Amino acid sequence: MPESVAQYRLIAEVKIRREAFGGILYKYGCADRGALSFINSPPLIELLLDGQQQHEGNVSAAIESRHYSEASRRKLYAALDALAARGYVCIEQAREEQA
Amino acid sequence: MAVQPIRFLGRQARTASPFSLPDGMIGRLDPQAQMAMQNTGAPARQEPGRGSRHFLQGGLSAPITVTWEITAACNIACVHCLSSSGKRRPRELTTEQALALVDELAEMQVFQVHFGGGEPFMYHSFWQVLERCTERELVMCISTNGTLITEERARRLTQFAPLYFQVSLDGGLPETNDRIRGAGVFQRAMSGLELLAAAGHSLTVNSVLTRYSFAELDRLYEIAASFDAKLRVTRLRPSGRGKDVWDDLHPTREQYRAFTDWLDEHPDVLTADSFFHLNAFGHKLPGLDTCGAATATCCICPEGEVYPCAFFQTPEFEAGNLHEHSFKDIWQHSALFHFYRQMGAGACSGCGQYDTCHGGCPATKWFVQHSLGVRDPECVLM
Repeated sequence: MPESVAQYRLIAEVKIRREAFGGILYKYGCADRGALSFINSPPLIELLLDGQQQHEGNVSAAIESRHYSEASRRKLYAALDALAARGYVCIEQAREEQA
Repeated sequence: MAVQPIRFLGRQARTASPFSLPDGMIGRLDPQAQMAMQNTGAPARQEPGRGSRHFLQGGLSAPITVTWEITAACNIACVHCLSSSGKRRPRELTTEQALALVDELAEMQVFQVHFGGGEPFMYHSFWQVLERCTERELVMCISTNGTLITEERARRLTQFAPLYFQVSLDGGLPETNDRIRGAGVFQRAMSGLELLAAAGHSLTVNSVLTRYSFAELDRLYEIAASFDAKLRVTRLRPSGRGKDVWDDLHPTREQYRAFTDWLDEHPDVLTADSFFHLNAFGHKLPGLDTCGAATATCCICPEGEVYPCAFFQTPEFEAGNLHEHSFKDIWQHSALFHFYRQMGAGACSGCGQYDTCHGGCPATKWFVQHSLGVRDPECVLM
């Protein structure tokens, strides 16, 4: 029976830049049409960059490729939910066969 | 632009820096400017998690948006022009310099370039610059008076992306707009809007709020909607020729109060970071809640001068010049920017609303009262 699995994916219009405090997410659009967020977590910025550059925007794949503790994974997915609410990340439902 | 500070995993804020000039700073530091900045007192620190200011105070590695006034040449002569545009200036950047600047902005990961002027379509190599921006994936916004847009140009512009337009209208009626922007300009700008809209471009109608255009906000909103565009309202500043008309044109306090109510009723109207001084009414407007000059943005002027923002074009506040230094060096090592980023609250120190308005617009203070330590001349609490 296939099971639905949430995949977190950065939307194509998002640009990411490292800063000393962490980094900036910028969703482009003229002046106020876009969005801008200051993220004060360097590990989250590195994860997002990894997802964007190595996994075609699939941040879930970037998480799975790293060996996070369960607690860290939960924190990261909570952070991604917050980014999804602000329009930087979309959540796709992928079908996965049960073992 | 929606600006949202998001805290994750509890990182601490950076330590405060005193007014001092580290080694290796570049650019001339005008004594008047230095004294004015120092007289604002020590920088006020914001608690982490309260607004975006504490992320900006240390200075970012690069601006978020650069305003690039690419030429001073303009085919119209607005009475409030912040850069006193008209004729092309002798030391405007060459094509090679302009293209190298695009490369440098891209390498610094500047997110967006906002082209203004003058009228940017009067710059000799503007099409090449747009092409290079597209190659380097820089987001482009063109602020234009709209009068030079033809059907052919509107179509040709579709090859550049991401590209957005701001077309200026300073009144909802021809007589109000043309009093500021010149005879016949309203109809020509409307024609430009029609052509850009027909070609499928993303548009904003940009309007400077004045005492006379205030009553026409609804009409401006309708005009923007008719082109499937958003209305963007910005604040009049007393810079450039704006100094000469400030007393006559700047809105009254009562108009500003009514304007904040109007914005509440029109949440899709954009205001960028123009009106954060109105937060002192006690109701926070959307957008950046502080001045982004020299921290989130800066302005490159036609002859390579770099200023804290487009409204602060005056020799005392020149951070450096691209004929002498790279943009990156100016952004990261300019003595003027270093001091600018350390400014304190001045006369606003201790004000209960300081955390909401951050003292308002430094450029407005300077051009009206020749001081940075005073309250914003349009402070709504005065």
